[in-house]
Amino acid sequence: MPSARTGPRDERRFEMRPVRVLLGLLGMDQHEVGAVAVARLLRDAGMEVVYLGRFNLPPEIARAAADEGVDVIGLSCHSWEYLHYVDELLARLREEGIAAPVVLGGSVITPEDARAMEDKGVAACFGPGADSAQIVATIRRLAGRDGDGKGNGVSDGT
Amino acid sequence: MTDSHSESGIPLKPVYGPEDWDASRYASSLGDPGQFPFARGPRPAGGGRRGWIQRELSGEGDPERSNQQFHELLAKGQTGLDVIGDAPTVALLDPDHPLARHAIGTQGVSLCRLDDYRALYRGLPLDRITLSHSLPPLFVIAALHSVARERGVDPAVLRGSVVQAPYYCEDTGYALGMPFALRERMSVDSIAFAAREMPKFHAFLEDTYYISDGGLDAVEEMALGFVEIRGLIRALLARGVAIDDFAPRIAILVNCRMDVFEEVAKIRATRRLHARMLCDEFGARDPRSLAVNVAAHTSGMSLTAQQPVNNVVRGTIQALALALAGVQAIEISTFDEAYRTPSPEAHEVALRTQQILHLESNVTKVADPLGGSFFVESLTDELERRIDAMVRSIEAQGDAASLAESGFFRRLFHDAMERHARAIDSGALPKVGVNCHQVAPEDDTLLREVTATKIEPYRGRVAELEQHRRSRDAGRAGASLDALGACAADPRANLTPAVIDAFAAGATVGEMAGVLRTVYGASADAFGAHRAAG
Repeated sequence: MPSARTGPRDERRFEMRPVRVLLGLLGMDQHEVGAVAVARLLRDAGMEVVYLGRFNLPPEIARAAADEGVDVIGLSCHSWEYLHYVDELLARLREEGIAAPVVLGGSVITPEDARAMEDKGVAACFGPGADSAQIVATIRRLAGRDGDGKGNGVSDGT
Repeated sequence: MTDSHSESGIPLKPVYGPEDWDASRYASSLGDPGQFPFARGPRPAGGGRRGWIQRELSGEGDPERSNQQFHELLAKGQTGLDVIGDAPTVALLDPDHPLARHAIGTQGVSLCRLDDYRALYRGLPLDRITLSHSLPPLFVIAALHSVARERGVDPAVLRGSVVQAPYYCEDTGYALGMPFALRERMSVDSIAFAAREMPKFHAFLEDTYYISDGGLDAVEEMALGFVEIRGLIRALLARGVAIDDFAPRIAILVNCRMDVFEEVAKIRATRRLHARMLCDEFGARDPRSLAVNVAAHTSGMSLTAQQPVNNVVRGTIQALALALAGVQAIEISTFDEAYRTPSPEAHEVALRTQQILHLESNVTKVADPLGGSFFVESLTDELERRIDAMVRSIEAQGDAASLAESGFFRRLFHDAMERHARAIDSGALPKVGVNCHQVAPEDDTLLREVTATKIEPYRGRVAELEQHRRSRDAGRAGASLDALGACAADPRANLTPAVIDAFAAGATVGEMAGVLRTVYGASADAFGAHRAAG
């Protein structure tokens, strides 16, 4: 795929390649069902998914996000571990100058937890019952591809 | 596409009749309960125990907290115990591993040394209750054997089970970071040891629940289960263990989804297939080797985060299916499953559901009540045919080791997850509260508070473990790990006695797993990169 040859930070080519999304799980969370389903959903929507799989800590997610030049970082959350990793992850991304917004998704995310995460600087949270079209649209918007041509407009909080 | 098919895709007719099942085949295809081929049940009707072992999945926090939970459940009338480890314990990581810190005790009990097992089993009548474990089998068998002996209980009287999951664990939720050959050996050695030392204990509990609850259908679930059962049987025979020395303690822990008749038929077909395979292909002659016990967990995946109270109804329907199928033990996945391991409130509801079913519904009075139903017999035949065909097809594609290494199984699991997600998305698999009859989140409040209550990680376990490592006899612990390594290097030796010795010397599961991985050419810390990165 030609887009894979494009430099990850090459702003001039930004609009020409598909949206790239990093997907992974944190810590010991081994419930991959949601991550696999979302990976399929995003690929069906024409995005490129870099699937990092299980057993990741914040430094690896930050490194992969930088190496792969992704537009959005998506983390699947089916244990409460994410609550304890988010601060560290956001700090790491800031330190390394990685602008890709973080999106969390998973059945364990309650509306209260979602609000708390968004206050910390998570760009979006999808709890149980999130609608597929809404997930795709949000990620497109976060990647700056919502058609207004303004690029990434979701840096609030990061 | 019509709606007329079972959840696994078997076409269904509007009604079934004599043309669908030939009653003259009764003796060969069914037989009475307790008779070959055991489709109607492993034991004769009317004799001995009626009903099933009632247990709910437990284990949270440290061993002391879990032990307290056991006593509470027994006090509420639970008739067996069912314990699961937290994610690090199941992955053979000690609580001080960098990946473990936020997962200690939150999804099960944290166990890593013999003292933990002593605390876990404290005050339990080990000679009188059944202990079912979703925990690493080699280590559970070694620890349970040790604790029983310390307490003056003959290990030969221990009853219960431990799940064996060597073929699929890396691809589902129980990754160990171990090569296939080592995973299989740990199973074979623990089963062979228990066959000799703990002959009443089901050390060979094939767990098709955990492999299927990512989205496999009933046919795939049992086909993969039989591939693993058959593979482990062959490996045990190759080690010189006679079939009738261990096969009486094979049991199967199955899933139960929402398709009532398909799940009943699946269990009946499974008993029959098992009997035929053990008799015809493996030469078992002891009737106990042919009559397999089936235990079940109701499907956690079928439950929803939306309107958690609806899950009480789902659990009831599934438990009824299991009672009609005549299983030996039931665990109902609780209404808060989508969020957490069971809360005390959810435990109570699930246990009361089992008790109501058992005592008030009269379902235990007659064995195999659906036997002879044109529909159920037809479906049983079809499931048996499909499961058997899939087993043969998988085995024709290669041995389990190469299929696991090549990613064959992983693809199968991932395809099933995707298929399930599509079925929910499209509405092909109706899910009340999810793809139909939804309510607004602000109105979805019933049982919400209980469901969303969290367990904080038991980080105190890290300091406890550091203290343990400082206070133990380091020379003795080190020597026991060296001995375990030497034992692992000898393919004819059984690992279990060496694990028992290492536990006694104060070694931890994480340390033992590291030694075993090294002998088998893997990195001692399967997650080594993380240690540096963290």
